[in-house]
Amino acid sequence: MSGFQYGVSLYSYTDDFGTVMDLEEALEHAADTGATGIEILGETHVAAYPEPSSAWVDHWHATIDRLGMRPTNMASWVDTRVTLTHTMTEEEGAAQIMQDLRLAHRLGFAFIRPKFGVVDEELTPHPIWRGAVARALDLAAQLDIVILPEIHAPTPIRHPVTEGYVDFIQKTGTKHFGLMIDTGIFQDRPLTHWGGGITDEIRKGALSFLNGIAVPVEHLIDVIQYVPFIQAKFHHIDETLHDHHIPWDRLVPMLKKLNYNGFLSSEYEGERAPWVAIEQVRRQHCLIRKLEAEYDAAHAQENAHG
Amino acid sequence: MAERTTIQSSGFANVSHEGTITGFRVRLRQPNYRGLRLSLIEGIDVTVGDTTYPAESNCLMLDGAAYTHAQMAEEIATRWPVGVCADVHVPAPGGLQPGVHDVAVTLRLRHPYFPPQFQPVFVRDQRHITIIR
Repeated sequence: MSGFQYGVSLYSYTDDFGTVMDLEEALEHAADTGATGIEILGETHVAAYPEPSSAWVDHWHATIDRLGMRPTNMASWVDTRVTLTHTMTEEEGAAQIMQDLRLAHRLGFAFIRPKFGVVDEELTPHPIWRGAVARALDLAAQLDIVILPEIHAPTPIRHPVTEGYVDFIQKTGTKHFGLMIDTGIFQDRPLTHWGGGITDEIRKGALSFLNGIAVPVEHLIDVIQYVPFIQAKFHHIDETLHDHHIPWDRLVPMLKKLNYNGFLSSEYEGERAPWVAIEQVRRQHCLIRKLEAEYDAAHAQENAHG
Repeated sequence: MAERTTIQSSGFANVSHEGTITGFRVRLRQPNYRGLRLSLIEGIDVTVGDTTYPAESNCLMLDGAAYTHAQMAEEIATRWPVGVCADVHVPAPGGLQPGVHDVAVTLRLRHPYFPPQFQPVFVRDQRHITIIR
């Protein structure tokens, strides 16, 4: 029976990385969960980004192979408002995406996630996104890497931002642009632990984001055909394997029903005390694997009786 | 590896030029989760006790190179990597007295993917650190 593939984003270990954990240790903690997919942030985890030494690249491949993992997504950024007086042109945005496609290819990644600068509080990407991506599509096809903007709170699935991306896929007919769903959009209870760098200004000004936008899991039906990768965002799972914010008990059955068999890549974004992330990621893998096994068992019985 | 806090204990020292103390430096761990183009750092204010040293006069020493506030604003190719420390050099004739100081920093970071009302965001840290001599 086909099922989910399990991955870990090294973003989960933010603040541990560089203080109590180096890259190799982070990869080993990820591998110890049984995950086979590894997601990184190019600007964070690649030494001398965007041009790592060949020795670094060789060591990357050797480590990934030793741990029995494969690279999934490399997160990247298109910093549109790159200086206070200059906003990137379509050509400059395309150059950034193409640089990241080439680096991702060198490191063996299947996806890149460009995070575009935005123009409003609904996270509408800067309008250069369309022309920038269009210019990079041939290279993406040549390297067989899929470009995935993420659908991230407070932007829901049924929204002009998501519709704009789907329109682009439909108009170009490309197989090298899709959607990444960040499971933070399904958060349906207020955050008590946020590891995304909260400040007083954000706490006061972004309540909808912190309270959760609670997208109904059924809305996945609209877009699942464009979703080859999911970032399994979460913030706190307690010792009874109860997630305090993300409704996995509804999300996992929906993804199973939709035959999703891509990666669920853990993205822990909670309390940032040292080493907390290591245990939190393990709890998430235990929880989701349990829910998947329960679904499979229930449906195996149905099939046997049917 | 670096201390968990943004402000580091090591590195805090007076700075001399041709035998005269011209200021002091504070070492910071890169405070963001991804490598920061210098142009995305809109300024680093440093406060010691009751005195604030505004970003416009400070300069960042990263990997052996010095960047003034104005140079940082235009520096789009150089990044301050995660897990790496850099020193903020603050002009202050005579420097600081040896001893324990209450030091605060405010970094103004521009995340282009944040809603416009959160550009920049303010990253703050404050702790007691020591100038030995």
